[in-house]
Amino acid sequence: MGEIRLENVSKRFGNFKAVDNVSLTINNGELFSFLGPSGCGKTTILRMIAGFEMPTKGRIYIENQDITELPPYKRQVNTIFQNYSLFPHMSIFENVAFGLRIKKVPEKEIKKQVHEMLDIVQMYDHKDKYPNAISGGQKQRIAIGRALINKPKVLLLDEPVAALDLKLRQRMIIELMNIHDLVGITFIYVTHDQSEAMSVSDRMTIMNKGQIIQTGQPDDIYERPNSIFSAYFIGDTNLIAGKVVGIEDEFIEIETDLQQEGNKVVLDSSCHLKVDIGTKITLSLRPEKIAISRKQPAIKSDFNILKGKIEDILYLGTHTQYIVKVGQHKFRVFNQHKRVYFDDVALDWEEDVYLFWHDIDSFVILDQENN
Amino acid sequence: MTNEESLQKKKNIYSWLLSFPTMAWLVFFFLIPYIIIILYSFFETDIYDVKAVFTLDAYREVFSKEYFRSFYLSFRLATISTLVCLILGYPSAYLIARSSEKVKNFLLVLIIIPFLTNFIIRIFSWRIFLSPEGILNNLLVFFKITDTPLLLIRNDFAVILVMVYVYLPYMILPLYSNIEKMDFSLLDAAMDLGANKIKAFFKVTLPLSKNGILAGSILVFIPALGAYIIPQLVGSQDSLYIGQIITYKIKNIPRNWPLASALSIMLLTFISLLLVAFYFLHIKFNEKMVSKDDK
Repeated sequence: MGEIRLENVSKRFGNFKAVDNVSLTINNGELFSFLGPSGCGKTTILRMIAGFEMPTKGRIYIENQDITELPPYKRQVNTIFQNYSLFPHMSIFENVAFGLRIKKVPEKEIKKQVHEMLDIVQMYDHKDKYPNAISGGQKQRIAIGRALINKPKVLLLDEPVAALDLKLRQRMIIELMNIHDLVGITFIYVTHDQSEAMSVSDRMTIMNKGQIIQTGQPDDIYERPNSIFSAYFIGDTNLIAGKVVGIEDEFIEIETDLQQEGNKVVLDSSCHLKVDIGTKITLSLRPEKIAISRKQPAIKSDFNILKGKIEDILYLGTHTQYIVKVGQHKFRVFNQHKRVYFDDVALDWEEDVYLFWHDIDSFVILDQENN
Repeated sequence: MTNEESLQKKKNIYSWLLSFPTMAWLVFFFLIPYIIIILYSFFETDIYDVKAVFTLDAYREVFSKEYFRSFYLSFRLATISTLVCLILGYPSAYLIARSSEKVKNFLLVLIIIPFLTNFIIRIFSWRIFLSPEGILNNLLVFFKITDTPLLLIRNDFAVILVMVYVYLPYMILPLYSNIEKMDFSLLDAAMDLGANKIKAFFKVTLPLSKNGILAGSILVFIPALGAYIIPQLVGSQDSLYIGQIITYKIKNIPRNWPLASALSIMLLTFISLLLVAFYFLHIKFNEKMVSKDDK
């Protein structure tokens, strides 16, 4: 139950292709996110699953039932709206009871179910208040209760925490995950915030310009982005253009455009795409995977070592970000603040430093445009 | 006296100064005339004006059967016009509120255009339009819908028709400004929770437009209650509305200014009570929707 299938779904608004031929299966019970910049089509997909928009092309199935043309009120799907859309003229109790009242459930049963639901979302004490008298986090709980009381097969969440401040956002995300575990139905989560998507999702899809860029588990997408867009959208990265010049048993040698002595970097050959000599590629290297030191590290065969000069230092609390110039490239390097330093004295501007990383830690992205 | 208190006092003086012109206006052109009317209502009548002798004659006469009928006619006119304006105005207001910015402005201008023409001229054009030799009757006869021209004017139907025509914008505009402020995602939410469009309308849109309905109804009901010109121009002299009675008692000889004054005061009292009732209704609608912190 609760499995959702999109088959070649497209949606046009006039000449604008909001969603472009998307096919996807969301498993039963999954907490699945759509992540992408604004205008990428993620909300349109959500609205099509909810029934507020009709696809221009393609079909949508829930549990193999074609729901493409069903109106919203006939779908076993409920939505948490971005601003919660609580009815301002109804008490908290009446807001939660709304779905049951529409279904003409007997009054006694309504009372029982609403009270149970208010207990689950910990809002029982506020049941007689009106939406304008409660806080953002409380509104969200009511929105969740109002949706879940209808026992939907799928719960859709449209940027559910975007309206909250940072601390509350983190707490509500954990509450949402707990509720997901409790009810066990499929949750579909839409957000433009990558850290939010990474922390809640079982699986997620990155979208851009109406198309799916990559679908997978958050760690998979982070460690193995399939495109420059994915690599940039999830976390930070350094991109290095290069060409495969040698393939050995254990490593691949790449000639880069770093314009430096020892222009070549090596990659562990076991962990990525098959490449041939001469293939143009892009290397993605996460800033936190790079070590930085003013002392030259011992040369090892599976280490890549570059020499550069520090251009900027940004202190960010949990870590410091260094901008290091290597040839024409600027590398971003994160260094966490630990008592165990490579250097006794803190690094300074304009200092010459060594950047080094393990060959497993860089990842090849096939450069579609150049091939 | 603390600084804060003196500042508060200063503020009070400023707000009194600022409201002085309005206050003066209201005192000279509303309060004083009304005191005169109240005084007159307790005077004895004369053929031309009043004798300053205290009597309750005027009030005794107010409650006679003759004037009861006029009150009833006016009340009926006000109720029917308000209801018809509401039924016609609501869909229009909703349509305007949900239109795109461009269409919205165009439609609003269409609603406002009639105000550019003089009120009396507009009523006269209805008279011409509806008269036995008028365009409408000519068309009806031409298309053989009737053999002889219909009597469309000089009756209560014409009064209601023209009343609705004149006061419809007063219903549409407050409704529009109320509906326009509504968060339409609430309708999505209602449909998401299982309500079809009709249920969503009655459970969400309609309750949320209560304030607009109230404001529009006041703006139509109250002028309709005291209507004089419209019944005078398109109504029948066999059914006189209260506004007409008051005017006749003021200007037709034998005059009866005390009676006219007493009738005016009855009308004013009734309207005041109505406004107070509306006010409490309004408070009741809104107290719960307003956050405690906002108060």
